[in-house]
Amino acid sequence: MRIKEEASRLLDSEYMVPAIFIILSYFAWQFSGLTGSFVFNQVVTRFIRDGILVLSLIIPVVAGMGLNFAITVGAMAIQTALLIVIAYQVEGIKGILLAIIIGVLLSLVLGYVIGRILNRVKGKEMITTIIIGFLFNSIYQLIFLVGFGTFIPVANKEIILTRGIGVRNTVDLGMYRNTIDKLGLFKIGELEIPLFMIIIVLLFAAIIFYILHTRFGQEVKAVGSNMQTSEILGINTDMIRIKVMILSTILAAFGQLAYLQNIGMFDVYTAHMNADIISCAALLAGGASIKKARIRHALMGIFLFHTLFIVSPQAGQNLFNNAALGEYFRSFVAYGTIALALIINIKNENKFS
Amino acid sequence: MENILEIVNLNKSYNGIPALSNINLSVKAGEIHGIVGANGSGKTTLMNILFGNPIIRETGGYQGQISFRGNKVNFKNCAEAIRQGIGMVHQEFALIPDMTVGENIKLGRENTHSLTDRLFGRKYSFIDRKQDYENAGQTLRRLGISVDVGIKIINLSVNIRQFIEIAREIDRTDLKLLILDEPTAVLNKNDGLKLIEILKDMSDHKIGIIFISHRLEEVQYVCDKVSVLRDGKLVSQYAKGNIYVNNLAQDMIGHTINKAAAEKREMENKPVITFKDFSVKMPGEEVKNLNLSVYKGEILGLTSLSGHGKLALGYGMMDMYPVDGEVYFEDKKLVKMNARTNIIKGMYVLPDDRQGLGILADQSLESNIIFTGNQIKNMFIRDSAFNFLGFIDHRKTNLHVYKMMLDLDIKCTSIKQKVKELSGGNQQKVCIARALTVDPKLLFVAEPTRGIDISAKEKILNMLIEINRSRNTTIIIASSELDELKRVCDRIAVMVEGKIFKILSPDSSDVDFGLVLSGEEGVDCEKL
Repeated sequence: MRIKEEASRLLDSEYMVPAIFIILSYFAWQFSGLTGSFVFNQVVTRFIRDGILVLSLIIPVVAGMGLNFAITVGAMAIQTALLIVIAYQVEGIKGILLAIIIGVLLSLVLGYVIGRILNRVKGKEMITTIIIGFLFNSIYQLIFLVGFGTFIPVANKEIILTRGIGVRNTVDLGMYRNTIDKLGLFKIGELEIPLFMIIIVLLFAAIIFYILHTRFGQEVKAVGSNMQTSEILGINTDMIRIKVMILSTILAAFGQLAYLQNIGMFDVYTAHMNADIISCAALLAGGASIKKARIRHALMGIFLFHTLFIVSPQAGQNLFNNAALGEYFRSFVAYGTIALALIINIKNENKFS
Repeated sequence: MENILEIVNLNKSYNGIPALSNINLSVKAGEIHGIVGANGSGKTTLMNILFGNPIIRETGGYQGQISFRGNKVNFKNCAEAIRQGIGMVHQEFALIPDMTVGENIKLGRENTHSLTDRLFGRKYSFIDRKQDYENAGQTLRRLGISVDVGIKIINLSVNIRQFIEIAREIDRTDLKLLILDEPTAVLNKNDGLKLIEILKDMSDHKIGIIFISHRLEEVQYVCDKVSVLRDGKLVSQYAKGNIYVNNLAQDMIGHTINKAAAEKREMENKPVITFKDFSVKMPGEEVKNLNLSVYKGEILGLTSLSGHGKLALGYGMMDMYPVDGEVYFEDKKLVKMNARTNIIKGMYVLPDDRQGLGILADQSLESNIIFTGNQIKNMFIRDSAFNFLGFIDHRKTNLHVYKMMLDLDIKCTSIKQKVKELSGGNQQKVCIARALTVDPKLLFVAEPTRGIDISAKEKILNMLIEINRSRNTTIIIASSELDELKRVCDRIAVMVEGKIFKILSPDSSDVDFGLVLSGEEGVDCEKL
């Protein structure tokens, strides 16, 4: 009886999902035949690439709004900003700064809009953010596929399709590529550690920690726990939720910027598409739930999720001798994580504690 | 003394139905102003108006004039009322369950570091958690409560939550007027007295207090002035010295009330349920190695000071907390506690947390009454080849619900009305109706009269006696209202530190009960 109780407690704990990831990653790594240093370097790269995006999910979860799939909107905001900067050929650091300013302003407005929408659909935030993501995606594509070169004049013809309307599929970020990745890079044997970028990600983690430990943060927690009670405690819940969405969208914009500058070019129409799924999966892999997320879940989750994400295609390929299998494995891992984490979390929430 | 609050000709109606009419009321600084009234008399509406609850605006605002500290006010939301120095202790507690005691007490008024204050302003400044906890601890000590400020609210029992709720308001330095809605409803006598001392101290510090309570003795004892509300009207006001319980009760009800009382009788000592070394791990209300036999057909009272485990027994039977030990129901051992199988076997528990666990607040009266019967015993399924689809037989349901409504005298606009719109007493009746629907052999009721006005209280108690006598249902009533237990029960078991300490006859004197409750040995009690 006691053992059974202990076992069920272990199964229900937040370490359940991370534990499964560690075990799966280990076996997948064994089958993949990849070297440890390669996996490590890849994971570190993903950490600095996706870190801020994953972190941008935390505050909405704390505010009780679930996973914010609309971080793609923040991603699109910064992409729009980058395209504008490139279209008018503002180069170097000046360009990056201008892009950040435009991106943040756009995110602010869009975050406000999302917040207003979510205040009308309380309790159904997650599905709404998914649809908002799709909606903004189509608006975004419309603008860059049809708007650029027609009613939006473009100075830089290089990024325009040969027919003169619409942006090319892929835009080179050559002038910004790896400008900051290589800062503070040092090597231990085969391991490469881009110290500066890691510090940047940790800095964002610290910012979120800070925000959650202010009076505003306490209000966010209260709203996340119980909206009605918060209201009678004198908290303007609607305003808090709007601010939360603005923050999340802005953080997502920074996240996407880190992602794009690391890759060095971007697929105008698709770069943002999987940002939400991958980030949510990473956060959940770290042991977060749709009701509870901490910074350590995000940081741990990125490592765990991406380890499996990197080794699983290779493992699948080796096991089944089929190169095409790799990509399927990846989406299986991403969606599987979300499904598993949701199931385990919901089971935990039903427990009367 | 000057008036800090003045209400002139206040009128409020919901959809044309008047809730308050022509209320004139004033509260002086340092005055403890009692407001009494039966459920539905408009107390809650009055409080909502004073505290700026948005529901008032959403339903069309109010007519009349309210002045607070000389200025005319019309609060749009609670935040505004709080900024002006009004505090409120809510009956249903405005505490955030996932936050710690300290966080709850200091919410919105956290201590912050001065450096980040200057950089980002107070709202975005880093919280000094240590200082917060220290302050919160001090406030709790002022209240005479010892509880770890780092513990989460969800792990605390209801009476401690009540003190935390009060501590949050007392911790404010800008408090000018404090509204307390039934603050002693969940407290036992001792804790209630403790609270009253605190209120007197606050009144000495020139804080105006509006005190709403169903316990008229307390009102008589503590208040400088009492206003009685009935059907939305102010029917009478008494000043200190002229406050008498009988007058208040009569004004509240408009007629005299008959107190419920069960006749004494001889019982057969045939146990229906026996607990052996039964433990329930409910934080703050633990049952430890309890041994108890409940006899067939009796009404057993179960009482204890708060935190000594009287409420946990029912929760244990419904598998809400981990249990240990053996339970025999009708001479058969219960292998595993499981709410569903226990209900099928004939046990039913009505929890004390009526809002959270007792009712489906957003569902209709009808669904609430038939819920357990239909879900567990398929009692209201339309008989057809498609039984497995579980269509509800509405004719059967209506018949049953109307019968219950008449039998239990549930007041509602229709059986489709949402239960959350009913008053506390009627909600309790709905709970009892649901229990009766499954016709249990053993009914466990926790705090059946908590937060219910006096006339409805007696009705509920009479109902329990009636159920016991006519259906031969064994009833366990866990309650801190000793007076009620003494009138209703055949035996009263007193728990101390999670164990049955003594079982007393309801005829035992209050002194004996007092001694036994505090765990004093050496009280003579009849062997029952």
